[in-house]
Amino acid sequence: MSSTSFKDRNLLAVIGDEDSITGLLLAGIGHVNEHQRKNFLVVDAKTQVSTIEAAFQDFTERRDIAILLINQHIAEKIRPTVDKYQQAFPALLEIPAKDFPYDPEKDSVLKRVQKMFGE
Amino acid sequence: MSGTGPRENIFATRMALTNTKLRLKGAQTGHSLLAKKRDALTTRFRAILKKVDEAKRKMGRVMQLASFSMAEVTYATGDISYLVQEQAKSATFRVKAKQENVSGVVLPAFEVDRVPDFNLTGLGRGGQQVIKAREVYAKAIETLVELASLQTAFTILDEVIRATNRRVNAIEHVIIPRLENTIKYVLSELDEMDREEFFRLKKVQGKKKRDLAARESARAAEEADNVALEATIDDEGGGDLLSSKDEDVIF
Amino acid sequence: MEGLFFNVDSGFLEGIVRGYKAGILTQSQYASLGQCETLEDFRTQLSASDYGNFLANEPSPLSTSTIADKATKVLVDQFNYLRSNSVQPLSKFFDYITYAYMIDNVILLITGTLHERDTHELLQRCHPLGVFDTMPALCVATNVEELYQSVLVETALAPYFRDCLSASDLDDLNIEIVRNTVYKAYLEDFYHFCTSLGSPTSDVMHRILSFEADRRTINITINSFGTELTKEQRAKLFPTIGRLFPEGNNQLAKSDDIDQVRQVCENISEYRSFFDNTSSQLGGGNESSAASELEDHFFTTEVHLNKQAFMQQFQYGVFYSYMKLKEQEIRNLTWIAECIAQDARDRMQDFIPIF
Repeated sequence: MSSTSFKDRNLLAVIGDEDSITGLLLAGIGHVNEHQRKNFLVVDAKTQVSTIEAAFQDFTERRDIAILLINQHIAEKIRPTVDKYQQAFPALLEIPAKDFPYDPEKDSVLKRVQKMFGE
Repeated sequence: MSGTGPRENIFATRMALTNTKLRLKGAQTGHSLLAKKRDALTTRFRAILKKVDEAKRKMGRVMQLASFSMAEVTYATGDISYLVQEQAKSATFRVKAKQENVSGVVLPAFEVDRVPDFNLTGLGRGGQQVIKAREVYAKAIETLVELASLQTAFTILDEVIRATNRRVNAIEHVIIPRLENTIKYVLSELDEMDREEFFRLKKVQGKKKRDLAARESARAAEEADNVALEATIDDEGGGDLLSSKDEDVIF
Repeated sequence: MEGLFFNVDSGFLEGIVRGYKAGILTQSQYASLGQCETLEDFRTQLSASDYGNFLANEPSPLSTSTIADKATKVLVDQFNYLRSNSVQPLSKFFDYITYAYMIDNVILLITGTLHERDTHELLQRCHPLGVFDTMPALCVATNVEELYQSVLVETALAPYFRDCLSASDLDDLNIEIVRNTVYKAYLEDFYHFCTSLGSPTSDVMHRILSFEADRRTINITINSFGTELTKEQRAKLFPTIGRLFPEGNNQLAKSDDIDQVRQVCENISEYRSFFDNTSSQLGGGNESSAASELEDHFFTTEVHLNKQAFMQQFQYGVFYSYMKLKEQEIRNLTWIAECIAQDARDRMQDFIPIF
C-alpha cells in the first residue's frame, strides 16, 4: 500500500462529462500544474476509450491526487480497468452524471461489498 | 499416529519437546489475539460498509441537486462551461489527509481544505446563480470527500482483514496442527525410545541372568567333579567324608 | 412620416418577423411540453409546434444541450434570413444585434488563447451569430494591445475595446472586467445608434436598452459584493445609460450590501416591485436567494418589455425583441428539458412564459 505518501495527496481529479466538470471546477477543484497538466478530463461522445483509459492511468499514478472522481457512465466504458483497480490511493469514486442517475448495481466498490457477503 | 500430518523436522529430544510446547503455547496466544483483532476490524468494517452504502445513496441525491443548480446557471447565463474550464489554474478546493487508528491499522481520512476564491464569472448576469451553484457543488464535493474517506477505509480495512484472516487461518489450520503433530511425534518417539530402553534393559538382565546361571552351573559341575574326584581319592585313599560337603539336594 | 416610407424598405421583413413571432410557443404548448415523461415525448411534442422536426435527425438519447443547440440553430437561420434581406439602416441595426455575440466570442477566444488551447475547438464553441471573418486570427494575440492592433481594429468592435487597452495583462479577473467594459461600451453605442434612427424605433429601443443597462448595473453591483473588485473599478463598468443613471449609478457604486441596492431601486417605480416580496427575507444569509429571485424578476420584465415592442408598428425594435424573446424561449425549452431529464417536476414551472 502506498499509505506512506498519502500526506502529499491533496488534489481531487475528475473524469466526466462537460456539465459535471463545470460544476466541480466551479467549486474550485480545478488545478493546472506547472507542466500544463490538468486534473480533469472532459469526455464527450467523440472521446476515444483509449483517451479515457490513458487519463485513468495517469490520474491513478500521479502522486498528488487523493480522490479520483469518475462519472459512472464513463466508468462503464472502461469497466474492466475500473474493476481491476484496487488501490486505496487515490480513492476511486463513481459519481452520477446529469443524464445518468446513480446505479448502485454497477459500482465497483459496492459490487465487491456484495461479493464479500455473498448475497 | 506420529507419521500422519506434517511435522517439523527436529530430533526427538526432551529439549525439542519443551521448545515445541512453548511454541505451541505462543501460537495459541497469537491466534486468539489475531482473532480478536479480526473481530474488532470486522465490526468496524461492517459499520463502515453501512455508512458507505448510505453515503453512496446520499451522493446520488446531492449530485442530482448539484447538476440541477448547474441547469439554473445555464438558464441564467448561458453556457459557461468553457470559461470555467479555462479559468482553472490552481485548486482552491483541496483535501487534507489525517489518520485514525483502529486496532493497529492506520486509516486515512480526508478533510476538506478550502480557501475561498473569487472569480467574476457571470458578473454581468447570473452571478448569483453561479455562486449558488458553486456552493451547492462544494457541498456535494464535501459529501464525496466523506465518501472517499469511507471508501478508502473500506479498501484498506478489507485488505487488512484479509491478511488477518489469512494469518488466523494459517495459525489455526497449519501452524498449530503442525506443532501438535511435532509434539505427538516427539512424545511417541520418546515413548518408543523408552520402550526400547526397557526392552534392552530386560534383555541385558536376561542375558546377565543366563550368564550367571551358566556360570553357576559350570561351577556346580566343576564342584561336582571335584567331589567325585575327592570321592575317588577318598575311596582310594580313604579320605575324610566330613571334609567334603555333599551337594545340596534340590527337590 | 416614419410610417409612410417604412414599408418601402422594411415592410416585408416586419411582416416576416411578426409571422415568426406567431410561432413562439404559447402557454398551452408549454403546458403540454410539461406533461412529457421523457425527452422522446418532448421531441414529439415539439414537432407539433413551429419548430417542426428540427430534432428528427438527432440520434437517441437526446441530450438537453442538443435541444438547445438545435433550437439556437433554428433561430440563427431565421436571423440570417432577415439579415440578408435587409437594407440600410436596418442591416446596420442587425449588425448591432450581432455585436453582443461577437463580444462573447472574442472573450472566449482570448480566454482560450491564454491557456494555449486548440483554436479549432474554440471556434466550434463560438456563438454562430457572433462569428466574423478575422476571428481565427484572434488566437495569436497575447495581450489586449496586440489583439487590438492586429485583429480588432478591423472589426466593428474596435471602438469598444479602445477603452480597456489600459489593462495590459490578461488574467482571468481582468478578462471578466474587459468583457463588462466592452459590453458597457456596446450598450451605450447601440443606444446612441437607436437615437439616430429616430422615433419610434428609438422610443422602443431606449426602453429596452435602458432596462438592459440597469439590469447590468444592479447585477454587477450585487455580484461584486465580497470580491476583489474595487468600488472604482465597479463604477467604471456601469453603462452610462438607463434609468438609474446618473444618480442611481453613483449610489450603487458606493453601496456595500443588498439593502442599499434596494433603496436605489425604490426610486424607480417599475423596479420597486423587484424587491417587494424578497425584502421580508432579506438578511445576511438569504442574500443569494433574494438575488436569484431578482434575476427571475429581471427575466420577466425583459420579456414584458420585449412583448410591448410588438405593440408598435413601423419600427426596428421588433427585430431585437424577437431575438430576445426567442432566446428566452430557448432557455425555457432547455429548462423544461432539463427538468424532465433530471426528474425535477416541482421546478418545472419556474420558466418565464412568453405568450
